[in-house]
Amino acid sequence: MLRDAFIPLSFDHSRAPAFRAVEHPGVRYSSARWSAEPLGRLVAALREGEQALRQIPAEDLVAAWGDTVATFLRPGSLERRALDPPLARLCGLSREGLGAGLEAVLGGVRREPAAVLFARARPASADAGPVLAVLASNLPGLAVQPLLPALALGRPVLLKSPSAEPLFAPAFLSALVRREPRLGAAVAAATWEGGDAELEDQVLAGVGTVLAYGGREALDDLERRAPGRVIGYGPKISLAVVGADVEPRQAAEGLARDVALFDQRGCLSVVAVYTAGDGETLGQALAEELLDLARRWPPGPPPRPALVAVQHLRLEAEMRGFWHSSLAPREGTVVVDPGLELRPSPGLRTVRVHPLADLSRLPGLLQSWRGRLQGAALAGEAAWSLEPKLRELGISRFSPPGELQSPDATWHNGGIDPLEALTFPSPPSPAGRR
Amino acid sequence: MILDRVSRFLTAPAAAAFEELALAAFAWQFERIEPYRRLCTRRGTTPETVRDWRQVPIVPAAAFKTMTLAAAPAVEVFRSSGTTGESRSEHHQPFPGLYRQVIDASFPPFCLPFLAPEAKLPILSLIPSRDQIPDSSLAFMADHVLSRWGSPESAAPFGPRGVEATKARSWAAARQREGRPVLILATAFALAQWLEALERLDLRFRLPPGTALFETGGFKGRTTELNRQDLLARIWSWLGVPPEFVVREYGMTELTSQCYTRALLGGDPDLFVAPHWMRVRVLDTETLEEAPPGSPGLLAVFDLANLGSAVHLLTEDLGVAEGEGFRLFGRAAGAELRGCSLVVEELRSAS
Repeated sequence: MLRDAFIPLSFDHSRAPAFRAVEHPGVRYSSARWSAEPLGRLVAALREGEQALRQIPAEDLVAAWGDTVATFLRPGSLERRALDPPLARLCGLSREGLGAGLEAVLGGVRREPAAVLFARARPASADAGPVLAVLASNLPGLAVQPLLPALALGRPVLLKSPSAEPLFAPAFLSALVRREPRLGAAVAAATWEGGDAELEDQVLAGVGTVLAYGGREALDDLERRAPGRVIGYGPKISLAVVGADVEPRQAAEGLARDVALFDQRGCLSVVAVYTAGDGETLGQALAEELLDLARRWPPGPPPRPALVAVQHLRLEAEMRGFWHSSLAPREGTVVVDPGLELRPSPGLRTVRVHPLADLSRLPGLLQSWRGRLQGAALAGEAAWSLEPKLRELGISRFSPPGELQSPDATWHNGGIDPLEALTFPSPPSPAGRR
Repeated sequence: MILDRVSRFLTAPAAAAFEELALAAFAWQFERIEPYRRLCTRRGTTPETVRDWRQVPIVPAAAFKTMTLAAAPAVEVFRSSGTTGESRSEHHQPFPGLYRQVIDASFPPFCLPFLAPEAKLPILSLIPSRDQIPDSSLAFMADHVLSRWGSPESAAPFGPRGVEATKARSWAAARQREGRPVLILATAFALAQWLEALERLDLRFRLPPGTALFETGGFKGRTTELNRQDLLARIWSWLGVPPEFVVREYGMTELTSQCYTRALLGGDPDLFVAPHWMRVRVLDTETLEEAPPGSPGLLAVFDLANLGSAVHLLTEDLGVAEGEGFRLFGRAAGAELRGCSLVVEELRSAS
């Protein structure tokens, strides 16, 4: 049976927490019941594993990493066959949607980009301590993003999985340690209710850095309890820009992918497209591509609140006389909105297309979103010419349409170098990040 | 004129048929509200083609946040409270007189069923007054209830920082001594605030038998259902008002009328019932077609008294139809920033 924890070999297993079977609808796994004391020992065990970790040659680590990632990229592998059905259910994605999502997340951390990161990494100082990565559940496989740079720097890692999806991290660590057993004392995965100060005090006291993906409130709370040691990756949104010279159908294919991947739950999911061309033509093409993707990557069960918001958005568009697509709500929604205000999407592959003849106005229009923008898919020369100014607004990833949600291991998420983020004692603090 | 007909219908249900008034109200709004006419014509739906009130195109409550929907010049503009960073709904109300008539016609049968006509009673209002929040439709309602049915002993101890616990306490002590039934108007939040103050002092009241409590908002959603049960237990414990004397109200800024539970008449304390000039349906969230009985969905309200803005309204509330009424599940969350923080668990729990 799948487990929601991976416990390091150096942990006294005779005093490990009890596991018990947990039932989610259609998913059954074994869950560890943590209390403060064993969690504290878990971190202490990781500290002890640091030396062993640093003695593993980088090429061995990269080889094991690359092999593990390759395994998780193969839908027919043993690991994927065991993991996919429960993971899809827990994440609310279809099997096909999950597969596409894992391809996007894991594709960027294959052996080659991982080797590039390792080559650049210098071991962290000896007193840097373990890294605690607090993961969010919107993206399956997100655990690899903090794990790779931490290992490259020789720092043990505790992955705190979200209770909604606690299975990927331990499964990945388990596969990785099978390939490189010397890692077994330096990595762990566990899940517990976040925000419980009594439970987390020893953990926070024992780690050197906390990488946290979460909402503002949760990040602020962690910062209060681990001052100066938290790197927060808060909520952000992404957009696309299409120049007048770009053939709409060509742009639409990639844009639809950037909208639909992960059912639009990622911070790199496109929620709005600014186009210097004809909005309706692009909107129509985008709707057709979304329909095609709805067949290839069927959406997961739509959350009712999102459906409600989408229905309201569609009716409101009708009242305003805006063009909008006639797809079923779960297939996606395209609204051509002549207004220029950037607004978040309610999800379910919903995107607003804003016609903007003069694209040079866009950075000015986005000023109020400074620090809350993550990525921009750019199509055409006029769109790419905006990159420097969009970067000033805090956008950290640029790509052609279709590639936005597939960053590689060297991506500076939120403008933060993944290695520098873990460089103790003075992690970087770009505006709006910490 | 349609306004007079609707007004008459509130107190004389036999004077007209709901169906006929609904179609007339639709025609009236179609003619006067441009964005609404656009929605209707785009769908090929006009007063000439509609034969059933259920076919009247529905207006999303979210539209009240971004556009003005007014069939006549507004006399009052009501705004939703909203939370930080959230846009507020604006209800341009041209007929505040009709709003008062709605309260006169629906409040007594649900909240004062045993009060003799023209009689008054001591009322404690833990709802901000119109002086404090002039654009609150709830404050408008509370002020009207106080002036219409409140005896001279009535009070509204609500200050800038919420419930003025000391004044409320003194009021309750005096009423307890007098022994006459009273009425308390409160939001769930204000009530919780007052109860906390009483708990801190370990001060329990036994308000006179027959005392009723009107409670609105704040405890929607199954995840907070335990909190509501807890609130009811605390009301009983600290004020001496049993759960069967707590009436719940379902209303919103975008509507003129309200639904209530029939608790005081021995009805289900969580089943909301609409007055005769309102119809509440549950729609499938994917198709917006009427959901089969017992299936949860999105609440749609046809409120004849919402003549000034949108008679047929799609709410953001989830519920299920049951018998002559509906149960409320909670409000669907609005659009959030996507990304690294989204927790699927939260989404699932609301599904």
